Amino acid sequence: MSSHHVPRLEDTKTTLDGLGQRVFLISGVLGLISLAITFGLGMTRGDNLEHFAFSYLVSFAFFLAISLGALVFIPIQYVTKASWCIVIRRLAEVISCVVPFMLLMAIPVFVLHGRIYGWADPVAAAEPAMAHKAAFLSSNAFMLRWAIYFVLWTGMGWFFWRTSLKQDENGDLKLTRKMENMAGFAILVYALSIALASMDLVMSVDQLWFSTMFGVYYWAGGFVTFFAVMTLVTMGLQNTGRLTEIVSPEHFHDYGKLMFAFTFFWAYIAFSQYMLYWYANIPEETHWYWIRSANGWGKVGLATVFVTFALPFAGLVSRYAKRSRKMLAFWAFWIIGAQWLSLYWTIMPQFSESFVIDPMDLTAFIGVGGIWLAAITRMAMGRSLVPIKDPRLEESLRFENA
Amino acid sequence: MSTPGNLYGIMVEFDSASALVEAVRKTRDQGFKRWDVHTPFPIHGMDEAMGIRGTQLPFIVLACALTGLGLAVLMQWWMNAIDYPFIISGKPLFGIPANVPIMFELTVLLSAFGCFFGMWGLNGMPKLYHPLFKSAQFRRATQDRFFIVIEADDPQFEAGKTRDFLDSLGGLSIEEISDDEPGDAGQSTED
Repeated sequence: MSSHHVPRLEDTKTTLDGLGQRVFLISGVLGLISLAITFGLGMTRGDNLEHFAFSYLVSFAFFLAISLGALVFIPIQYVTKASWCIVIRRLAEVISCVVPFMLLMAIPVFVLHGRIYGWADPVAAAEPAMAHKAAFLSSNAFMLRWAIYFVLWTGMGWFFWRTSLKQDENGDLKLTRKMENMAGFAILVYALSIALASMDLVMSVDQLWFSTMFGVYYWAGGFVTFFAVMTLVTMGLQNTGRLTEIVSPEHFHDYGKLMFAFTFFWAYIAFSQYMLYWYANIPEETHWYWIRSANGWGKVGLATVFVTFALPFAGLVSRYAKRSRKMLAFWAFWIIGAQWLSLYWTIMPQFSESFVIDPMDLTAFIGVGGIWLAAITRMAMGRSLVPIKDPRLEESLRFENA
Repeated sequence: MSTPGNLYGIMVEFDSASALVEAVRKTRDQGFKRWDVHTPFPIHGMDEAMGIRGTQLPFIVLACALTGLGLAVLMQWWMNAIDYPFIISGKPLFGIPANVPIMFELTVLLSAFGCFFGMWGLNGMPKLYHPLFKSAQFRRATQDRFFIVIEADDPQFEAGKTRDFLDSLGGLSIEEISDDEPGDAGQSTED
């Protein structure tokens, strides 16, 4: 019943073609070179690769979180039977289905876990406070849990990816119903696994500290970054003449709303975690924030209140900003940088007493990010970037914000 | 505004959304100010077709939000640090982290009030009576008919001329709506 012109899928280019090959090669080669430089720099530090391990962990955790954001975005769309997202869902699918590939990228973390995690150090692990945690925080249990996480995430990602690709061929409505039926269960499994995984990967860097909020904190940061990445990927594809007709300002408006909402959600969680510890003022809980408020880290922590929360919040609050392509692109870049800084502040003080950003941190970012992007591009090559036979595609093409 | 007799406005009826939208665009281009469209379901693009400007509601909400935020800081500062200073678990008398939950809650509360009551105000609600309710034909606005109504309050309204214009839109029927309770017509084109 729309009075508007409804775009037709046939008028739009929906494959990567030559662009895929170029992005794959450039980002892959750049990523490998950067990782090699990071490793080389790490070797020169003479600290048994400890600094390298921490720099790598920050970037690995950062890009893993983006893919994990994509992984839960898809079942959420099925469980809510949303239609706005159909034209961009395939992009989320390719971002999510590189999660198994991230297991390969996790190898440096596994190999060097003795340098990163306090619990893997025999002296620190012998502390009385560690006695009741020792069984959980041990190398074997850690590896076993990661094996389980990756089995669950791979299974979940590939189920939605494969089923969606199958629907491209036959347009069978039953496939949509099948995914809708699985979606709720998938979200539940995902929530439990990412909560534990975030504790293993990031929180247990400080083996004594604990926060029941931490799983949501890590997830929220990744989820908002995922929408920023989606915004930039969609714009990049449009700027090279793909998806031009079918992804409209209405869809970008929704990206803006989601970035806005999850910027706030992240801040809400980060503050909730902080305030309870600040108020209770119990040394075993506050030491984590104590380390993070000394020697320049405190200024970074305070800066994230504005950089990661207040500024993007104010910048994205108006409808005008969400519908302006330039402003949306600006805030998407901003959020990616800001969330990286927040994660850096979460992890790095455990290694470095005072705040400094090392060249290794930047090369690790480009290294892991480049390879991650190459893997995503590889998954998208030779496929349609739109689920062409999804039953809700027509609705998505007509989508308008009220 | 001059209201001839008790005339509230003139209503024209359509049986399809596409016919309606076309007629709405023509009405908009005539430059009428006080008129409205009634449909059984929301029609995307109607705001644009009617030439309705963006709503002022976000600014009302923003003002309320900032008021709530400021009020929360002032209230807690006055209560805890000035009027009844009392040290609780060694915290400063005026400590921002402890105040943030109230700042958040009052911001949300006043924003919600501003949004809800602001919407009522802009729409001229509550309105328990409307002259259109007297038209038997208008009841189908909730079923399968689409209506354009130009109010007699409109500066451009001239009974004969406006009726001729509405006639030219090619609707199913046309009806003059009278208003037995003069002075009760509220604004109606704000969304």
